[in-house]
Amino acid sequence: MIKHHPDDNLLIEFSAGTLAFGQSIAVSSHLHFCHHCQQRVERLNHVGASLLTDVESVPVSDDLLDSVMAQLDAPTPKRKPAAPSNQKMPRVIDKILSKQGKAKWEFLTPSLDMARLHTGQQQFEVALHRIKAGGSVAQHDHRGTEITLVLDGSFSDENGIYNEGDFLVRDAGQVHRPLASRDAPCICLSVVAAPVRMTGPFMRLLNPFLSFKPL
Amino acid sequence: MMAIKISQAHPLGASPDTRHTRRRSTVTEALQRDDTWSLALNRIAQDRCRKSFAAFFQHFSPLLKGFLMKGSRLNAAQAEELVQEVMIKVWGRAEQFDSTKSSATTWLYTIARNSRIDWLRRQSNAQTEELVADDLYEDESAETPFTQLQHARNEQTVVDALASLPDEQALVLKKVYMESKSHSEVSTELGLPLGTVKSRVRLALKKLQDVVGREACA
Repeated sequence: MIKHHPDDNLLIEFSAGTLAFGQSIAVSSHLHFCHHCQQRVERLNHVGASLLTDVESVPVSDDLLDSVMAQLDAPTPKRKPAAPSNQKMPRVIDKILSKQGKAKWEFLTPSLDMARLHTGQQQFEVALHRIKAGGSVAQHDHRGTEITLVLDGSFSDENGIYNEGDFLVRDAGQVHRPLASRDAPCICLSVVAAPVRMTGPFMRLLNPFLSFKPL
Repeated sequence: MMAIKISQAHPLGASPDTRHTRRRSTVTEALQRDDTWSLALNRIAQDRCRKSFAAFFQHFSPLLKGFLMKGSRLNAAQAEELVQEVMIKVWGRAEQFDSTKSSATTWLYTIARNSRIDWLRRQSNAQTEELVADDLYEDESAETPFTQLQHARNEQTVVDALASLPDEQALVLKKVYMESKSHSEVSTELGLPLGTVKSRVRLALKKLQDVVGREACA
């Protein structure tokens, strides 16, 4: 049962296409799990469509139709969503992973691994985090807003338990200490505003979440 | 009864194998839209009808161009370039349009939105070969028969409701959807606190959705 959803403003920006691309990946992945939010987005798309029909129209050049007609027979690459390798995962995550090969897990701490995702943008760090069963993550905070989406398993922190599909937003400076459930590892998608680059060997030890740059 | 059957067969509204297949039950037929533009899209898909396509183009291109130029993110030439791209996708993907799931305008809106996202990303040198907007928006076609019926009738209602919004609410809503501005960009542009922009957008949408809801229940 999903208890944590993106708020209205995030969904509005997603529907309008103005939400940052990195954050849109997290919203899109949440929709994979959440029928309720899919419907919310449908309604918002409908508002966008109404605005489209309500706009003051601007005539197009006389030859535009001919130009388009002439291109209709050119073969267009068919968009066929690849058969998902793992139906459980949101399709967008599957797509990213299939493009870059398997997830390359990097060791961060004894109970935490991370795999960066290549998403073609620099503004947000997009990564998978895997907490070992029963493992806990050192108390940490973030430079920027962090979105976490539980993809598999569950974890808890001071404020509650989060299960598959739960969508969490933490603002910069909010400190938390996640703990994976005892019986299974927890995999989360994490989207964090890219930090100012920190250097120095101790930064990584102090805070593993500050140490990587988006690809 | 029948309605329940549909939603059980498609808990997420779109399983990969049936997503683009038109089902021929009486229920689905009853839910299929029969407005001009849904029919035109069906003819484009089934008969590759260029006449229907030309009519669709003549109707929607000037709207799309106006939509894309709003807020001057795009100049006239860029907007036309994008209109071409969108219209060619309409021709290429018409068979994916399912009038039981969305209206022609909502379908077109999502194509235009995604094309604009990718266009803006290309301008900012994002690596669009990694991932395109369509990859983010493909899971979202989940509808119950109730919302389908709702969508079928209320496009004009929403337009009317828009006209009844207080100016300051209509303004921020249009900036977000039509000028493709994030809430924080709107807040900078209008010199309003971010929280004010967010709450105006929320209030505006709540009002629109109340109208939509009333219409559907009436």
